[in-house]
Amino acid sequence: MSVILNEVRRATYLDSIVLMRISRQIAALPGVEEAGLIIGTPANKVILRDAKILGQEGSAAEPGDLIIALRARDARAADAALLEARRLLDQPSALGTTAAIESSRTIRAALQRLPDANLALISVPGDFAVVEARKAMELGLHVMIFSDNVPIADEAALKQDARDRGLFVMGPDCGTAIIGGVPLGFANVVPTGDIGIIGASGTGIQEVSCLIARASRGITHAIGTGGRDLKAEVGAITTLMAIDALDADDRTEHIVLISKPPAASVARSVLDRVAKSAKPFTICFLGATDVALPANARSATTLKAAAELVVGEVADSAKLRLPPLNGGRLIRGLFAGGTLCSEAQIVFRQAGLAVMSNVPVPGASATTGAHDGHVLIDLGDDEFTRGRPHPMFEPGVRDAPLAEALADPGVGVVLLDIVLGYGGHPDPAGHLAAFLAGRQRRPMIVASVTGTDADPQPRETQVQTLAEAGVIVAGSNADAAEAAIAAIGAR
Amino acid sequence: MAAGPDLVVPILRSGILARQFCERVGFANVEAVFERCFYLRSGDDFLCIGEPDIGNGPITLIANPGSLATVRSVAGQAALVCNERITIANSVRFALDQSELWRLFDWPVCPPLDRLTDTCAALALRVATDAPREGLARCVIDECETAGSAPPLGRIARPRVALLERWVSGLLDGRATSAIASREAVRGLIGLGPGLTPSGDDLLIGALSALDAVGESEAHAAMARAIIDVLPGLTTPLSAGFLRAAAAGHVGENLCKILSLIMTGDIDAAIALAGKVGHSSGWDMIAGILTTLRIVAAPRWASAAHAVAFS
Repeated sequence: MSVILNEVRRATYLDSIVLMRISRQIAALPGVEEAGLIIGTPANKVILRDAKILGQEGSAAEPGDLIIALRARDARAADAALLEARRLLDQPSALGTTAAIESSRTIRAALQRLPDANLALISVPGDFAVVEARKAMELGLHVMIFSDNVPIADEAALKQDARDRGLFVMGPDCGTAIIGGVPLGFANVVPTGDIGIIGASGTGIQEVSCLIARASRGITHAIGTGGRDLKAEVGAITTLMAIDALDADDRTEHIVLISKPPAASVARSVLDRVAKSAKPFTICFLGATDVALPANARSATTLKAAAELVVGEVADSAKLRLPPLNGGRLIRGLFAGGTLCSEAQIVFRQAGLAVMSNVPVPGASATTGAHDGHVLIDLGDDEFTRGRPHPMFEPGVRDAPLAEALADPGVGVVLLDIVLGYGGHPDPAGHLAAFLAGRQRRPMIVASVTGTDADPQPRETQVQTLAEAGVIVAGSNADAAEAAIAAIGAR
Repeated sequence: MAAGPDLVVPILRSGILARQFCERVGFANVEAVFERCFYLRSGDDFLCIGEPDIGNGPITLIANPGSLATVRSVAGQAALVCNERITIANSVRFALDQSELWRLFDWPVCPPLDRLTDTCAALALRVATDAPREGLARCVIDECETAGSAPPLGRIARPRVALLERWVSGLLDGRATSAIASREAVRGLIGLGPGLTPSGDDLLIGALSALDAVGESEAHAAMARAIIDVLPGLTTPLSAGFLRAAAAGHVGENLCKILSLIMTGDIDAAIALAGKVGHSSGWDMIAGILTTLRIVAAPRWASAAHAVAFS
């Protein structure tokens, strides 16, 4: 029988966005049927009563009080959810009210305010990132470097130094990590579980962790390494340390490794380390062929395949209904996520289709400027983002190339990705829907949505917005590419 | 002798009610601390001290940009208010002696009704495409479903918004309305929704301002009276403070600008600004503005204000 649990916090002021976000996080926990955090006004108690989550304690709340209300399938799930709600509310970073409040001018001053901190996130112009990272390391902090434009020699030296100190350097150009349930950079709200992820790619980590979450599984940590960690100059220092860490972590039962194809010597050292582990690995070297894996590892050619090797089937696009083409037979892909663009190219290559890209995977061609074939563009690449915002937090960056694709009579399908989560645009689907509104002639638009229903932009709502705008939404990025190919009759 | 405060922060601009707070109040408590501002409370009265980008307002003191970064750990502390100074925990002092008084600027001239109708139609379209699903904005354009599967806030809000619409329409039609009916028209919306200022409160503040801006002073007074009559115990103390201020004709700079932009037909700029006011607060205010302006623009025999204008 369902259990209703209420807790009241007296005279508590929080922003509505914080309350909604925590409400969604609690509602997404296992066994929780409904949850809400809301100010205890009489009008709001009606909402809670309507949602069948108002208990005796909540009924007695005053208008300045905060009610934590939830309904779960049993007492154990309810208690666990209430504990999690308390934890989220008590986290300074969760409040929004006090998170940015504790600002400091130096890393040392920040550490004085928060002496238990053990990680610094560096997001400064690339010229200064190494200096700041070294300051953090001197203070004993692990480092995540969001910044790019750091010379690779500096990256290698920094990581060697960090390894000697027993510290992690995630990055440079590390956009995503989730450490102990805390999302860093662009990341999604995913449940805690038993799967560890090591990724040289931000959107690769996001896609895999979200597919895992949507299969009702969770992760322990997602460790970003930066895009060049598996290059020969760096020698996979962070990747190897991450394998060591997850191998030693009792809660991690399965490890997923995502990267572009590494240098041969680096691949060997990484796979040798994998072979020493007793844990099963899924290796996704996007675009690599003929990788000899140890017995405890399986190879995945796409991000979706990586997730499925761990948790079983994650998305079903067989149900997608594709309308007849209204235009030519070419596919134009416009991606915010670089790894999602790479994955789509691999799907095209697996289907035997020639494809061009500004970030070509092995087997694909570089774009020439001519649009007489299937073209998949990474709009987050430097050529599009120099002096402009990244399309993940400013979807307007995609408007001009999208308008061009829509107007091109040769294009029959436009392939898009929508990436949700912290750091992203608050309503990317809404932006796209508004852009498409009122356009008469347009090719078929197929999209994937990387995210979860617990994200600040709930996936379900984003999918609904896209569907209402006539966009065909696939269950994963790979499925979207498959659907686009099917639409032009090439499969 | 006690040492002076570690930090003195000059106040740049002060709202009219904020000045009255400082003249009237001796002691206050730091009630809530946010990223760009914090609130002092004394009884039912609130004072906001914030950085310039929060916008001027009747209960607001605007401090130097960046100066609040160093005074963030003041939650729960006591504040001494005297001689145009606010001293918190003897560590920081806000000095009002050089501050400039901020006043609500004049509303633009109400556009002709046919143009107002077009503006409302354009605004409703933007609400349908751009408004967040969490607030009440979609409820005023019938996008908010009342079916069982709809979110509880929208399902509960829709009939309450409809009741307010009928009541405001009646007021502008010159129909007599009882005090009980007036209270019921606003009661259901006060305190409805999550957060610091519940969505229903923001909607009512938007509606009040719109009535003020188009010169419907009797309707404004009636709504203000109804709100004040039912207010105790229905919403958060802070939001009640904002509603009381709005009922007395005092609203913030952001709302003034949003409404002025709407009345001059610059929907894009109004929407852009609304998006910067809280998560859904700006949109909820637009909901109240749109509700009211649509009724103002609707054909009727003669509203009170226009009856005077055409008599």
